[in-house]
Amino acid sequence: MGRAIGIDLGTTNSLVAHVDARNRPQVISAEEGTPLLPSAVHYGADGTVEVGASARRRAPERPVDTVLSVKRFMGRGPGDIRPEDRGISRFDESGSLVRLLVAGGRRAVTPVEVSAEVLRVLKRRAAEALGGPPGGCVITVPAYFDDAQRQATKDAGRLAGLDVLRLLNEPTAAALAYGLDKQVQGIFAVYDLGGGTFDVSILRLDHGVFEVLATGGDTHLGGDDLDRVVARRLMETGLTPPSAEPSPAVLRGALAMAQRVRETLTTEPAVEAEAELPEGHRLRARLTRDELEALIAPVIERTTGPCRRALKDAGLASVDGVVLVGGTTRTPAVRRHVKALFGKEPLFDLDPDTVVALGAAVQADALDRGGREDVLLLDVIPLSLGVEMMGGVVEKLILRNSTIPASASQAFTTYADGQTGMVIHVVQGERELAHDCRSLARFTLKGIPAMPAGVARVEITYAVDADGILQVAARELTTGLEQAILVKPTYGLGEEEVEAMLIESIEHAEADVTERFIREWRVEAERILAALKSAFELDGELLSTVERGGMEDRLDGLRGAMAGADYLAIKAWIETVDEATRVFAGRRMDKHVRAAMAGHRVEEFASEARTTRQDGE
Amino acid sequence: MTCWSCHGAMAQGRPFCGACRKLQPVGPTEDYYSFFELPRQFALDPGQLEQRFRDLSRHLHPDRFARAEPRERRIALERATRLNDAYRALKDWRRRAAYLLKLAGQDLFGEGRTFHDPEFLEEQLEWREALALARADGDTTALGDIAARARASLAALEAECGRFFGEQDWSSESVWEISRRLSRARYYDNIIADAEPGTGW
Repeated sequence: MGRAIGIDLGTTNSLVAHVDARNRPQVISAEEGTPLLPSAVHYGADGTVEVGASARRRAPERPVDTVLSVKRFMGRGPGDIRPEDRGISRFDESGSLVRLLVAGGRRAVTPVEVSAEVLRVLKRRAAEALGGPPGGCVITVPAYFDDAQRQATKDAGRLAGLDVLRLLNEPTAAALAYGLDKQVQGIFAVYDLGGGTFDVSILRLDHGVFEVLATGGDTHLGGDDLDRVVARRLMETGLTPPSAEPSPAVLRGALAMAQRVRETLTTEPAVEAEAELPEGHRLRARLTRDELEALIAPVIERTTGPCRRALKDAGLASVDGVVLVGGTTRTPAVRRHVKALFGKEPLFDLDPDTVVALGAAVQADALDRGGREDVLLLDVIPLSLGVEMMGGVVEKLILRNSTIPASASQAFTTYADGQTGMVIHVVQGERELAHDCRSLARFTLKGIPAMPAGVARVEITYAVDADGILQVAARELTTGLEQAILVKPTYGLGEEEVEAMLIESIEHAEADVTERFIREWRVEAERILAALKSAFELDGELLSTVERGGMEDRLDGLRGAMAGADYLAIKAWIETVDEATRVFAGRRMDKHVRAAMAGHRVEEFASEARTTRQDGE
Repeated sequence: MTCWSCHGAMAQGRPFCGACRKLQPVGPTEDYYSFFELPRQFALDPGQLEQRFRDLSRHLHPDRFARAEPRERRIALERATRLNDAYRALKDWRRRAAYLLKLAGQDLFGEGRTFHDPEFLEEQLEWREALALARADGDTTALGDIAARARASLAALEAECGRFFGEQDWSSESVWEISRRLSRARYYDNIIADAEPGTGW
């Protein structure tokens, strides 16, 4: 198996790191010598796809076909696209997913696909540096990413043909790198201002235990926002000929210039520059550092609220130290703000651009080796998970800053006589009303026995895994019947869509993807065989000899396919077996419902159903 | 009880099989207290709870099982989930009290029952008035004072609950007294949340 890698999939830049033979995390650089891969993807009208610096260079001339900062769209629906993000890209808004129209309008790509292009390049880079395809992989996400954004990131990893062992929160990754490298102990705040997202995490570092006490942030706040206010000022004062509504190309050019101006003012007191923009425009930039700081102060101020709230959630008034993460924290005004906010001189001993990837590499290596004795990461869920109640009010099941993995159950009842269905609306956020929170999924629980209002009881269980991703289960308590629920994400890709994309993608040609499919379907087949074996033992008497024989024939077929290398054959045999066992499953359910009605315990049956559901990981 | 992996016999309630060291599913006799090998009582040492939580997490966290076979990985996720849930439930005295009542089959609190507590509600109205006034004036000293007094009231409620639990008396009257205090504690929690700045969404 290949070496484990850690990937920082950033808004502006992405990078990959690994742990070397001397047990030290190292970033992997490209031939040009830089580890930073611009998170830019250019889709040419001729079908070519370019990623990285060359794609970013095309942005001014081909603004619509060059996707930048795609992280802002991950896990979002068309309704979430902000006006300021709208300016440049073109969207296909016919479905429930965000799709960007690229390649001269010929292709519609989802943010997941765009991110997968970036990940593929990093994967290839790692493979070249490590002398073979990488093994397991950890991808970092902003701590404040919600469920849909995490799921989208995981999908992108899968689409890129990566074996994603874990999603890791960016501030936690940074703390891990700092804690191990600098041996820091105590209560630390990690202030992570990247290209497009802001996170703050409060951690307790204590002899190898990295315990996140609280986290806060804003997934729409970063260097991009600083560039935007600077670009606006530059266009107001120095664009010739002036334009009230600049085209995407002009806007892109102005943003690129704003970024350069901002970076120059990190070290210089003033900057004066002029550049040619597309469509015959020229942009002249004259700005002092004081002017810049006055412009960006309101944006930086937006980080104050999340920091205060995180401290309060952690039950603390102060911290022992602050760690700076993310390229945007190089801005002197940001550093001064952090110092004033926490009353501590911030630490930036480790490069704020690479520290997250280094931490991710450490975690990937640890996971790959079955954990490290000397390190324990305890992370939290950033936003509360709830369910919509009558009247649109949210009942929170798992509170924000709960250590993950976590679970919670709550019983609900019917409100109408004879009600046999119940709509479950899963939301995430802190607001009181469901429509102010993020909608994660909506599904209908069917088959509730018709009873007077308030008699039937349905138990909803939320389970959040170590990636911060939620699974929902529902059980009708009066009969003990558990339903397999298909949670269709409100914004996100269904399993079938991801698979279809995988098949379409170039990766399909690579052997490892096929192999992974085979492995996945074999595991699924093994699960079915094991479940049927115990079902036959328990309830074999429900089948006639002929029926049983027919089933065994099909199981033999499945076993045969499992020995082969054609995952589609395994899949087809599973479907055949499913079809053959449907009647058996129905009879078993009848039997157990009768048992339940007779007052017997049904835990055995329910726990079996539960196991079945958790298999779909 | 037999191990799912090596099929050898093993003791009930042990996370790992003694023979093959595979992680075992959570057993039916295990509760939040037995996870930590702590006596089932209201009074507990927070430091000891935390230490045991960390020790257990080191062994049970899904990070340790990322490369394990799927079944053991699932078991680890389930165990770690239960462990975190248990730690959350025992760490906070209100949740701990509610959990003890539930274990005793006296789940008044969980049923979302409201208590007829007119005297207390009248007192709460006064608290709320003082809070609204201090907020309107932006008087941080007064707000800090209100939060401090609410914390003192919570501490008193905790001590009272401790006494009721200490008596090991599961009569409906003492269960009712505990439940009423848990219900009152929620009001003070809300006051503290509203009195401290920087919490507006």
